[in-house]
Amino acid sequence: MAWTPVKGADALSPDGGVMAVTIDKVAVALYRFGEDYLATGNICTHQYALLSDGFVEDGCVECPLHQAVFDVRTGKALSGPVSKDLETYAVKVEDGQVFVDVTRPAEISEAPADNRIAMAEERDGRCFAIVGGGQAAASAARALRDAGFTGTVKLFAREQALPYERPPLSKAILLGEAPLHGPTLLDAPTAQQLNIELHLGVTVTAIDVERKTLTASDGETHAYDQLLLATGASPRPLPIPGADLSAVHSLRTLEDAIAFKRALQPGRHIAIIGSGFIGLEVASAARQRGCEVTLVEAAPRICSRALHPMAALRVHKLAERNGVRILTDVQTTAFEAADGGVALKLNNGDTLQADSVLVGIGVIPETALAESLGLEIENGIVVDRFGRTGLEGVFAAGDAAVTRRDDGTLLRLESWQNAQEQAAAAARTMAGQDTAHDAVPWFWSDQFAHNIQMLGLPTADDQMVAKPGSNGAETLYFHNGERLTGVIAFNDPGAIRRGREWLRRGLSVDALNRLLENTAGAAGDARLPAPLRRGTMSDLSNYYVWPREGLTRVPDWVYTDPYIFELEVERIFHGPTWNYVALEVEIPNAGDFKQSNVGPTPVVVSRDEDGDINVFVNRCSHRAAQFCRDLRGNTEEFVCPYHQWSYDLKGNLAGVPFRRGVDGKGGMPKDFKTCDHGPTKLKVTTRHGVVFASFDHDMKPLEDYLGPDMLREFDATFDGRELKLLGYYRNSLPGNWKLYHENLKDPYHATLLHTFLVSFGLLVAGNKSQMICDETGLHGAMASAKSDGGTVSEENQKEMRAYRPEFQLEREDMLNFIPEFDSEWSVTMLTVWPNLIVQREMNTLGVRQIVPSGPDEFVMNWTMFGFADDDEEMTRHRLRQGNLMGPAGFLGLEDNEAIKFVQDGMKRTQPGEHLVALDPDTPAGTADTLISESAIRAMYQSWRQALDIE
Amino acid sequence: MEAIKKDQAAPGLDQGQLVHAIERFNTDYCRALDDGRLHDWVEFFTEDAYYVVSGRENHTANLPVGLVYCEGKGMLKDRALAILETSMFAPRYLRHFVTNTYAEPQDDGTIVAGANYMLTQVLMDQPTATLHQVGCYLDRFVFENGELKLQERRAIYDNLLLNNDLVYPV
Repeated sequence: MAWTPVKGADALSPDGGVMAVTIDKVAVALYRFGEDYLATGNICTHQYALLSDGFVEDGCVECPLHQAVFDVRTGKALSGPVSKDLETYAVKVEDGQVFVDVTRPAEISEAPADNRIAMAEERDGRCFAIVGGGQAAASAARALRDAGFTGTVKLFAREQALPYERPPLSKAILLGEAPLHGPTLLDAPTAQQLNIELHLGVTVTAIDVERKTLTASDGETHAYDQLLLATGASPRPLPIPGADLSAVHSLRTLEDAIAFKRALQPGRHIAIIGSGFIGLEVASAARQRGCEVTLVEAAPRICSRALHPMAALRVHKLAERNGVRILTDVQTTAFEAADGGVALKLNNGDTLQADSVLVGIGVIPETALAESLGLEIENGIVVDRFGRTGLEGVFAAGDAAVTRRDDGTLLRLESWQNAQEQAAAAARTMAGQDTAHDAVPWFWSDQFAHNIQMLGLPTADDQMVAKPGSNGAETLYFHNGERLTGVIAFNDPGAIRRGREWLRRGLSVDALNRLLENTAGAAGDARLPAPLRRGTMSDLSNYYVWPREGLTRVPDWVYTDPYIFELEVERIFHGPTWNYVALEVEIPNAGDFKQSNVGPTPVVVSRDEDGDINVFVNRCSHRAAQFCRDLRGNTEEFVCPYHQWSYDLKGNLAGVPFRRGVDGKGGMPKDFKTCDHGPTKLKVTTRHGVVFASFDHDMKPLEDYLGPDMLREFDATFDGRELKLLGYYRNSLPGNWKLYHENLKDPYHATLLHTFLVSFGLLVAGNKSQMICDETGLHGAMASAKSDGGTVSEENQKEMRAYRPEFQLEREDMLNFIPEFDSEWSVTMLTVWPNLIVQREMNTLGVRQIVPSGPDEFVMNWTMFGFADDDEEMTRHRLRQGNLMGPAGFLGLEDNEAIKFVQDGMKRTQPGEHLVALDPDTPAGTADTLISESAIRAMYQSWRQALDIE
Repeated sequence: MEAIKKDQAAPGLDQGQLVHAIERFNTDYCRALDDGRLHDWVEFFTEDAYYVVSGRENHTANLPVGLVYCEGKGMLKDRALAILETSMFAPRYLRHFVTNTYAEPQDDGTIVAGANYMLTQVLMDQPTATLHQVGCYLDRFVFENGELKLQERRAIYDNLLLNNDLVYPV
């Protein structure tokens, strides 16, 4: 089958549109330029990425992953981390139908690349020697030929292998995704074609600059005319006892990678010393191979050499989310052989057991040879922008070289790009085409399924602007207050492409801000208040990866992470939810008001002259002052004490002092209208005396929000009788706010933690009970019917260490249940997402309002009530029974303690995950047994949807 | 100093002696609590005693709830049992500091009294003590067999928020 029709090609944009098609199992990228169609292989020759996802511009396609650039017409690799060209395929158009033939190349291909080597009749008689066999050496060899040098090129490589790419050593090679011979930079046929003399497996032992000869370890002496030192670097050794143990690895060569790959067996524990990119990429590969990984970093934070602290923080979280245990500020003092593995002695007194260790604490430039020549050495061989050392005819490039920039500062970069481009510039200069290397520094890393690319050299003092992109990408822009200094993109190669141009231009901060507001991003993003824009990071959710096991696990970051908390405020408390704010009985009369909160945000709840209830943000439109300061009261208007701006009971801005100025001078602008400047108002609804508010003015009715089951439980407590206020408790809780919801979706604990409850038969495992959820799983009702005591079966007793039948109360009447509700349950704890708990503990009644203040803390406001028709004895019964609940209640204090213990555990141990696997028969939702966690699972199902966490 | 009425309530005590007696009482009361002797604490009250711990917010608004709300010595005993025998909580030390004591003998023979208190708490996971509550006792004392007993004690704390929970009585 030769010509294959391609459907839909005419839908491609004529301005460089590209699509992926598979023809006879060949992945093809089909491009359109006007009425011209071209086809190439769709897989980048560098690493696995689809070019059809890349950028097409000026007849070239740029790979989305690492910015390799290919000429679409010829398939030729033009720049970036590639040296291998793309296949091209023949295309024809007949009657508007596009056909591709993958069995033959495009007819318009240029002559093959080998005419780059001018095999001229008159060959240059000189010999250029390249000392080194890595990226820089291979790049230089090719560049010499590209620049038209026709003389002899000799390459001396210490390793036996042909020059190969190093980036895959810490990635694909360890994962077994790349062939072990590695991607070759200069394979034997190419070397032959380019007429490069390879001396593999030899080191250069001496150089005589007077005679211009070098001596190799095989005893041969070679004459040269010009010399390039591309000697690279070697891993920095860790000078501690035991560093020579066989299980202690380093990673620089293919041989190292092959040896270390064997250590990465599932279940093995790998310790990695050093948290640079090598350490992190190895950690990623090791996790992917099923190893346990501990990263030990001597500095207070990871990646401190390579990354701005904010970027390092993201990488830190990314690694932790992926199960890497990270120890910072910890030094390893010795390795000891132990149990077939290694024991790492740490300076904090701990010992870490590992099966294998990788030391990745950076590299030391190989400068011994250069030193013997008397060259200037400053943590590398000092060169100018052209790669020239101080000695005529001697050049250096790559990891071994350090560049003296125009301002006199020295810069040594250990990167793929630097090795490639600095060496090429030096080679061109050697060949007589003086070429300076001053590309914008660029570096990439692939780890934990994230592509991270960095441009420029931002310092730790630079300021950062974070910009979420689409599909979970995020880009960090750094500036020094004047100009853009760097860009770090997470899964956003497009930003790097733009950023490279911006850095070249020396973009000002003003221009940066303008451009960022205009580039892709959520509509209206730029209008968000600055702290939200910074903190929301809505697409950061991509970094929060839920454990593979699914709903039976809840990772710690759900409860501890400040970004997650900010996201919760935005998406949940300020989102499409009904939030409890008050009981109507607290503000019965016109002018009555109380302070309340929706999430952490303070609001005022007021009753106006019409008898309507209003809820608005407690923040003056003028200078943001929280103007209402009394907890409760009665007023005709609210006046901000600072500049006396006043607000009516509906939350409208009513008065602005000296609005027209004095004597015609000063005052507000003429077009100022008070109606445009009121505080944010919330939508309000009430049901049976309970007041709810929402920032979302399109909220569905409360009844629909609760659903029929929850509404039934709500109405069982609030049955329409007039309420009577009995008082307040307020306490802070040192835990995440969701733990309180979970506590009331966890009937399992009630039978075990609460000895008091169990001892007196209020709730035991055999009681009639149910954990009821609504359809979303966000609301819930833990319901039980009081038993008469003494009914605990012996079998259940054994499981309940709390059961103490010998206890007797002096005042057992405290536990009496006086039936007053139309319900089969004597106790219900109703949780209404996100901030309300309705407590109906027999006859002691209350609402609890959650006011979160951060991921680690929330305030609980309890409002206890009875009914207006209660007689004095009934009120006192409710008050006496109140000893069960509240922050000093026999049961209540235990829950508060338990929540603190949970948060303490997360705070003080390595991050992990919670196990909520009880009752697998009910994956999520209503449970008919108390020994279940299905309601917690149901809640997280919806929570993850609200936060877009996969 | 003016001698108070010689009656059953305050046998032969002048104002200064009465204040001193109440200070002595509070010292013993607080020692029992600071030592965690809750069963002894119960004995500072009369059989019909009323004991409540509540926020100033409730007290000012005349709202009756209490974090702790006990009518009669039986409920005090039940609380002592519940806290000591059934409740789960992290170990802690509490310490009371009582000052500004006053006493006002009433015509019915009882003594209306009060004092300010500070309550500190030390948890085993923190190096420092925290000020758990600042408040005042609002009391009514009676003499029973020549000994002062509390017929009523309201511990009214000023701090709006309670730090997590209140385990022991105040």
